[in-house]
This record gives sequence, C-alpha cells and structure tokens, in this order.
Amino acid sequence: MRARWLVAALAVALATSIGAWAQSETSGRSIAQDVPKQDAAKDPKPPASVTVIGARDAHGILGREVRSAADENMGRIVDVIVDRDGMVRAAVIDFGGFLGVGSRKIVVDWRALRFGAIANKSDSISLELTKDQVSKAPEYKEDQPVIVLGAAGSLQPWEFDH
Amino acid sequence: MPVRPPPSPQSQRGLDWFIFFLADVQTGFGPFIAVYLTTQKWTQVEIGIVLSIGGIVGLLGQMPGGAIVDAARSERVVAGYAVAAIGMSALAYALWPIFPVVTAAAILHAMASCVLGPAIAAISLGLVGPLAIGERLGRNARFASLGNGSAAALMGAVGYYVSNRSVFLVTFLLAIPTLIALSRIREREIDIVQAHGAISREVPDEKATSVFNLIRQKPLLIFACAILLLQLANAAMLPIMAGVVTTRSSQWAPVLIAACIIVPQAIVALMSPTVGRKAQAWGRRPILLIGFSALAIRGVLFATVTDPYLLVAVQIFDGITAAVFAVMVPLIVADVAFGSGHFNLALGIVGTATGIGASLSTVLAGYVTDKFGGSVAFLGLAGVAATGLLLILLVMPETRRTTA
Repeated sequence: MRARWLVAALAVALATSIGAWAQSETSGRSIAQDVPKQDAAKDPKPPASVTVIGARDAHGILGREVRSAADENMGRIVDVIVDRDGMVRAAVIDFGGFLGVGSRKIVVDWRALRFGAIANKSDSISLELTKDQVSKAPEYKEDQPVIVLGAAGSLQPWEFDH
Repeated sequence: MPVRPPPSPQSQRGLDWFIFFLADVQTGFGPFIAVYLTTQKWTQVEIGIVLSIGGIVGLLGQMPGGAIVDAARSERVVAGYAVAAIGMSALAYALWPIFPVVTAAAILHAMASCVLGPAIAAISLGLVGPLAIGERLGRNARFASLGNGSAAALMGAVGYYVSNRSVFLVTFLLAIPTLIALSRIREREIDIVQAHGAISREVPDEKATSVFNLIRQKPLLIFACAILLLQLANAAMLPIMAGVVTTRSSQWAPVLIAACIIVPQAIVALMSPTVGRKAQAWGRRPILLIGFSALAIRGVLFATVTDPYLLVAVQIFDGITAAVFAVMVPLIVADVAFGSGHFNLALGIVGTATGIGASLSTVLAGYVTDKFGGSVAFLGLAGVAATGLLLILLVMPETRRTTA
C-alpha cells in the first residue's frame, strides 16, 4: 500500500517536473523565435561573411614545435592565452625534459614568437629566447597569475585584478 | 610429491627474451603518448583524461588481473593474448588518434598490463618452483631492466629521427618477437598448480585455499603497507628532481635526466641476480631494510646536493632500491601465498598498494614542492621511506622458506 503511494507520488512529481521543463523549454524557444521574426519582417538575415585565407598564409599552431634562434628545441605549443578583450597575449609551451620526465609548461609572450615559416606542417615556430632564459621560468598553473616570459628586456608583470 | 626435473635451458631463455621484448612493448611508448597526441592537436585536458582513465583502470584491474591468471588453464595463452592486445592498442594509437579509439586503446593497454605482471611471475614460479624462485626472479629483473633500457634508447631514437607516430608502429612490430619468445617456453614444463601458488593435495584443504584466509595473512598485509609507503616515497622523487635539474642546467638537462633514468636501470641489470641469491642466503628482511635505507638516503641527498652532476651519482641509490624491490615483491608474495592457490591474486593486492602509493606520491609531493620547495618535499619523502624502514624492522616477519 505504502509502496503504491510512493510510486504515485513519484509519478506526479515526475509529471510536474516534465511539464515545468517543457514549459520553460517552449518559453525559451518562443523568445528565441520572436527576435528573428522581427528581423525577418524588415529584411532577411544576411548570410555569414566568408573570408578566404590562402593555405600558405595561415595555419593552426596547436602542437607545433618551437625552436630558438640558435635552433634549439624549445618544446611544443600546447595552449594559447587570451585576455578579456580577446587579444592573444601569450602561448603556453611544454618545455624541456627527457622522455616526458622533467618537462614543464611555461608561458612566453606572443610577441616573442615568430611565425614566418608556418605554412608547412613540419615547419616550426621560432622563439626569441634561449634555453638558458626559458629554463628559469616558473611553471604555468591555471587560476594563478600568469608569469609571461618576454624577449630580452621586455619582461613586465601582467596586470591582474585578483 | 614427485620431484620434477629442472626446466630446460630453452624455456629459461625463452622467458628471458619474452621479458626483454615485453619491456619494449609494454612500457616503450608510454612516454610518447602525451607528446604524440599534442602533435595530433589534442588539448591538454583531453590528454589528461585519457592518461587518467588508463591509470585508474591499471589500478582497479590489479586484483581482477591476478584472479584471472590464477583461474587460467595456461599462463602462456593469457600472456600471449595480453601481448597481442598491447600490440593492437599501439597500432590504434598510430592509425586513429581520435578520442574514442585512443581511450579504448588506453583501457586495453592498462588491462593487459594488469594481467602480464602476474602472468610472468606465475610462469616463473611454475617453471622453477618456490625454492629456486629467488634466483629466477633476479634473472627476470635483469632482463626487464635491459629491455627497458634498450626500449628507451630505441624509442627515443625512432621518435627523434623518424616521428612520434612511428614509435607506436615499432611497438606493434616488437609484439612479434615477444610472442615468438613466449612460444619458446615449453608449456609442459610449467607446473600449472605450482604457478597458481597451490600445492597438489590428496584431500582438498578448504581452509588453506580460501581467499579469506589469504587476505587475513598478516605478513601479506604488512608487506602491502610497506610497498605503499615505498611507492609513496619513491614515485615522485625522480620527477621532482628532473624539474629541479631543468631549472638549474638548461643546456645539459635532457642528457642529465636521461642519465638519471639509465643509471638505475644499469644497476638493476647488474645487481638483481645477486639480490635473488642473497635473499635466499640471508633471508628477506635484511634485503628489504637495504632497499628502504637506500631510498631514505636518496631523499636526504636530493634535499642537500645541488650540483646536477652529483645528482646523477645519487641515482645509484635508486638502482639499489629498484633492484631490491623488483625481486622482493614477487618473492615475498610467493613466500606468503604459496599453498593458498591465490599467488597471483596476492600479487594483485600488492600491485594495488603500489598503484595507490605512486599516485598519492606525485599529488602530495607536487603540492609540498609548490608550497615549501623541493628540499622540504625530498625530506618529507625520505621521512616516508624511514617509516617504511621502521615498519619492516619492527613488524615484518621473516618469510623465507628453507624446505618445501
């Protein structure tokens, strides 16, 4: 008897929650639909703009090898750091170590990187820093102030709010 | 009990080479996974997820893996399937570096590894029996370490001169000699009852062969705790030290870190057969005490020595610890679990302790390093090793058998 009540109560709870969910879903949709309707009344929504960049002019850089001016291996780009204005500030590179032991993620200034030879997949990005300069850098940790390593003489602390 | 003839040289050599090539197949490509997936434009989060899934499966699978080997009719067949599974997962990494395939391959690799550790110990015990097992385990450790060393050299060269992807293809190809070596071990020379740590009895002894009786064995539990402390102290030491070396000597850092990995391997290859013999001559406790002392000394030296070249010399102590425990873990488990028929399950229990200790180690020591610096972390790890030393000294009984 008690079990039956329980089942009934559960069913009611389920039904109301589904109802509520459906309602919120429809109301959300109706708002979303209202906006384009008003636009459509004036003029049809324009298609997205398309920009064509030549295959040799731009390329993804995640996982790309970084080398110093003296052609030392400086690791690979594993992340890109962007500020709240959408400006690219720095790149995170996985640096140093041997067979995965002793490597660290460090942050280098975007302006210290040179992307001249980006077109070929095997081409590397060059960094205006030497191994000696980079080896002293502290490890990059998420949710902590980022310490960006710049080219010689341009190391400035990054302003942050918290 | 009829006296079995000693195993043929062919089977012994087959096992040697199986262990040698397996080291290449099993551990060779591990260090390349993160770099390879980075070049395939994987994000760090995805790579972290895949590596953690593999780690968790490798930890949880230890005891089931041991139980599978205990239940198996032929250790050789189980080992063969596991090697084939690792070969296929390496191929999958190379051909389809997409998330579902790589995750499945990582899980398959971890599960196969959980079976292979006990399977090698079981084949060894099945071949030579509980009295000569110390020497055989010393030989196993020597070939495993030679295999690891040549795997690191071969894979490093392939990764550097060819590509990271080809490392996985080479691993796949090396599964073939591994399986050939396995087939050289003669099936009929492996005493299957002995391999499970059982004794053929006239009347089945329910009490001695129950799993509950095994997990109530005090020496096994004490030893598992000691191994947990060992890994807690040991696992984070080399990574933290490598981090310190990278900041101090940039130009030579990769060479120094390579030396820090190779030196202990060479010591294991040289010393482990001696460890196996001495464990039979002196007993287990003195050897265990040497292993823990070497670890504590290494922690203290890492905290005080600053010269990067001397740090490489300190790695000799790592070699001593590694040689001791490569032999002593299966040896003591064989001592304790022989007669129960659950030798491999008992290995799985100790393997679980190893995994827990190692994963806690990197987390805790990493935290301490961030907060208080490397020296404090090394002293803390040395303290953990000293606790393990005391545990062996005060509570661990001698487990050596002199008669069957």
